[in-house]
Amino acid sequence: MIGLEDATVRFGSRTIIEALSFVVPVGRTLAILGPNGRGKTTTLKAMLGFQPLDAGRKVAPDIVGYVPQTGSSNQRYRALDVAVMGRAAHLGIFGQPGPEDFRIAHSALERAGAARFADHYFDRLSGGERQLVLLARAIATGSQVLVLDEPAAALDLHNQERLLTLLNTLRQPRDKAIVFTTHDPNHALSSADDALLMMPDGQPPLFGPVAEAITPRHLENLYGVPMRVVELAGPSGETHRAVLPAFAGIRAA
Amino acid sequence: MVSLTRFATRGLLAAALSGLLAHGAAAEEIIFKDQENREVKLAKAAERIVSIVIPMASTVIALDGGTKKLVGMNPTAKSAVLEGILSKIFPETKDIPSDVTAPNFVPNIEALTATNPDLVIQWGGRGNDIVAPITNAGLNAMLILYGTEQLTRDYMTMTSRAIGKPERIKELVEWRDRVQKDIEAKAKAIPQDKKPSTLYIARALSEIATTGTKGSYNAWYMELVGGRNASAELNGTVTINKEQIAQWDPEIIFLNAFEAKLDVNWVYNDPILSLTKAARNKRVYKMPLGGYRWDPPNQESPLAWMWTANLTQPDIFKYDLRAEMKTAYKTLYNYDITDADIDSILWMKEQSGSANYAQFKAK
Amino acid sequence: MAALTQDEAAPMVRRAHLARQTLVFAGLLALFAVAFVVSLCVGRFSVPATRALELIWLGATDPWRELTTIEERIVLLVRAPRVVLAALAGAGLALSGAALQGVFRNPLVSPDILGISQGAAFGGALGIMLGIWGFPLISMVFISGMAAVILVGLISRINGRSETITVILSGLVVSSMFSAVVSLLQFVADPNTSLPAIVYWLMGSFATATWERTLIAAPGLIIGGVLLWMLRFRLNILSLDEAEAQSLGARTSRERWLVFGLIAVIVGSQVAVSGIIGWIGIVIPHACRLLVGHDHRALLPASVVLGAGFMVIIDTLARTATAAEIPLGVITALVGAPIFALLLRNHYRERNGS
Repeated sequence: MIGLEDATVRFGSRTIIEALSFVVPVGRTLAILGPNGRGKTTTLKAMLGFQPLDAGRKVAPDIVGYVPQTGSSNQRYRALDVAVMGRAAHLGIFGQPGPEDFRIAHSALERAGAARFADHYFDRLSGGERQLVLLARAIATGSQVLVLDEPAAALDLHNQERLLTLLNTLRQPRDKAIVFTTHDPNHALSSADDALLMMPDGQPPLFGPVAEAITPRHLENLYGVPMRVVELAGPSGETHRAVLPAFAGIRAA
Repeated sequence: MVSLTRFATRGLLAAALSGLLAHGAAAEEIIFKDQENREVKLAKAAERIVSIVIPMASTVIALDGGTKKLVGMNPTAKSAVLEGILSKIFPETKDIPSDVTAPNFVPNIEALTATNPDLVIQWGGRGNDIVAPITNAGLNAMLILYGTEQLTRDYMTMTSRAIGKPERIKELVEWRDRVQKDIEAKAKAIPQDKKPSTLYIARALSEIATTGTKGSYNAWYMELVGGRNASAELNGTVTINKEQIAQWDPEIIFLNAFEAKLDVNWVYNDPILSLTKAARNKRVYKMPLGGYRWDPPNQESPLAWMWTANLTQPDIFKYDLRAEMKTAYKTLYNYDITDADIDSILWMKEQSGSANYAQFKAK
Repeated sequence: MAALTQDEAAPMVRRAHLARQTLVFAGLLALFAVAFVVSLCVGRFSVPATRALELIWLGATDPWRELTTIEERIVLLVRAPRVVLAALAGAGLALSGAALQGVFRNPLVSPDILGISQGAAFGGALGIMLGIWGFPLISMVFISGMAAVILVGLISRINGRSETITVILSGLVVSSMFSAVVSLLQFVADPNTSLPAIVYWLMGSFATATWERTLIAAPGLIIGGVLLWMLRFRLNILSLDEAEAQSLGARTSRERWLVFGLIAVIVGSQVAVSGIIGWIGIVIPHACRLLVGHDHRALLPASVVLGAGFMVIIDTLARTATAAEIPLGVITALVGAPIFALLLRNHYRERNGS
């Protein structure tokens, strides 16, 4: 599992997060929502251990499957070689990946839907493809925790759909704790169990199951934009909910 | 009648007096052109001379007959003083400052001006960077050029004038001329195939360096005495390696006198160099260190030529070196050199085993 | 964003990649082998190639044989240790450069950036001035090289972490400091003994290579090199940014210092016997990247082989082309620059073409 316990982070006189506590157990997925500047990134970094805490502590395993927004290695590695980097923790400092590690890396690529460009050079792939490879790398670590930083931020609608489908596939076996940050509440509705809403200054962040946390009132509070929840009928009669921001030019009755 | 002669005498006297005075004033000032054609003007004979040029320190002492006029020298000259006989002949040389310049001839202006020199002897032909600091400090610089015997005689003559002893150089130049002509005459008949190839090692311990023939004083006298410069093809002083020496396979090797720790065993103990003709025939010699090192041009050069000649063409040259040295040291330094001194200068202990060296032993 | 690429026949791409890598490595190894053997056969002293090869064979099979002729001694006592040393030094420097560029994620760093070469040079200059030679001198060189690295670490420590840029800046400070002190030493050194030694040796040359010196430098070069080689996969991780590397399990600070320490051992050993040699550490890794890509598992081996081969070729030219020894720096620039320019052009042509 992964989470924070009474975590506080201050930058000078500004308090970014204060006494924040939440936990994502194995088998559940958390979406962190909120506009920029509210501490989404800080919370993520704190969970991963990149952000020192002024109070409280993080709850996390030693190895976390971290999927950054863009890979820092903009270089000529094959996608398979990028994925196999995930095996580093299992190899020790002087270790070299063997056939078993490559097999694991390859199957991680398959799970991430990136197997078909395993031998292509990473820097020749599109942004969306690269992200899948980075996801494969995170999966290859074998960690029970996956943390994705704004995975949908740079994707068009088509690729957002593919990503969210992929996330749901990954969630299905209920063998991982997954955390991702996003701007779009619909992503949370689509692919998360719980949501953490980074409320404006003065209000504590809101943590809870998606059904309870993602309501028009909470969202309007969060974003400062009027929201409407729409109910859609599914093919087998089930109900799906979606959220529509009512922008200035399209306010309906 | 009486008044006329009195006038005449008085007039004559006045004329003679003023003539005398005028002659005296002209005699005070010394003006000449140095070897870079710069005018050097001295109000009177130089009294405080700094020599950045290494060998000239001992030359000034020899020309002046003492150390009074030398107030600064090159650190490399200082080491020769301390290692050699000059500090025995003139103990005060040990105290003459040598911080006036870096070894690479870049002057240290603070130290230089502190010695209050009226003449600074510096190299010409090596760029203005080593000259400008001297002239900018308002000091008098005399620039000399290295390379040939003629240049050497000329700048020694210049120096002799500058210190107000123009007569002194005459006997030194005469001696040089005499010896050079004698050697040339005897060497003229030597056929090319009887000239052994000789190699002068300018540096040995850090890296190995030698010189080509062009512009090299060492090469000049090695060939003067009937040798052939093995490294003639090179351009200036350059680094070489042992394989190249093996390829040249010189018949005689001369080692420099600059490196105190260098002796003939450097050649005899080396796996490659010990297989050269020179090593196998034991014709390896370290240049002597007398009042100055015998390698570069200096006041003792004729001794160096005679020594080199006796070793290069032993059948043709049979100078009595010890006798020559006794005479030379008396003339140059007014010093009665002892047999022990000579042994020390010629490195008798270290290389008496080398071929043809026994001829230099004391009788 | 762009759509996903078309499906390509993955096995074909993999085979092509493997084939290309194999070809490149075979080429580099062949280059090194040829350079090594040819270097033993050429020199200012003429030894027929067949005789030279025969001598090498005899030397390898019977190393304790007494060497009597000049030919034997030239090939086995002058050329052989020099070529071996050049190969080891070239490999070590290229390896160090590649590792350093990986750790710093910066293609413009080399061992002199951290001040290692300058620190080592200071130890050597001081030793020479004090009249120390042989193994004690090598030790001084290595210790002061390590001291430079440690100084850099102390200066750049902020909040208990060392940021990359801070380390580079500290390295610049330390390297200039040591350079300045070496210049000072030159000024006070005895002009007939220490000074030429210091000056010459600062310039970088294998001319003084003997078996003794080679065997003194070899342990550091080999041990440091082997350990760095074993870090080749880890370097892939360390060349990611801090966050990613740590999330994959790397203790970045500690491991970076391990890399620096190994580089100090390698470069210290090299400087101790052959002075400061630049260029190889920066350019060979780049050339190798153009040939085999960025993956350090291929990059480090390629750097070792190309570094060794290149250094051997350069040094052989330096000692053979003319009667005088040409300074290494001159030749590396003359030979290396056009080759590197060619590589760059090819690289950009195929980049823009695809």
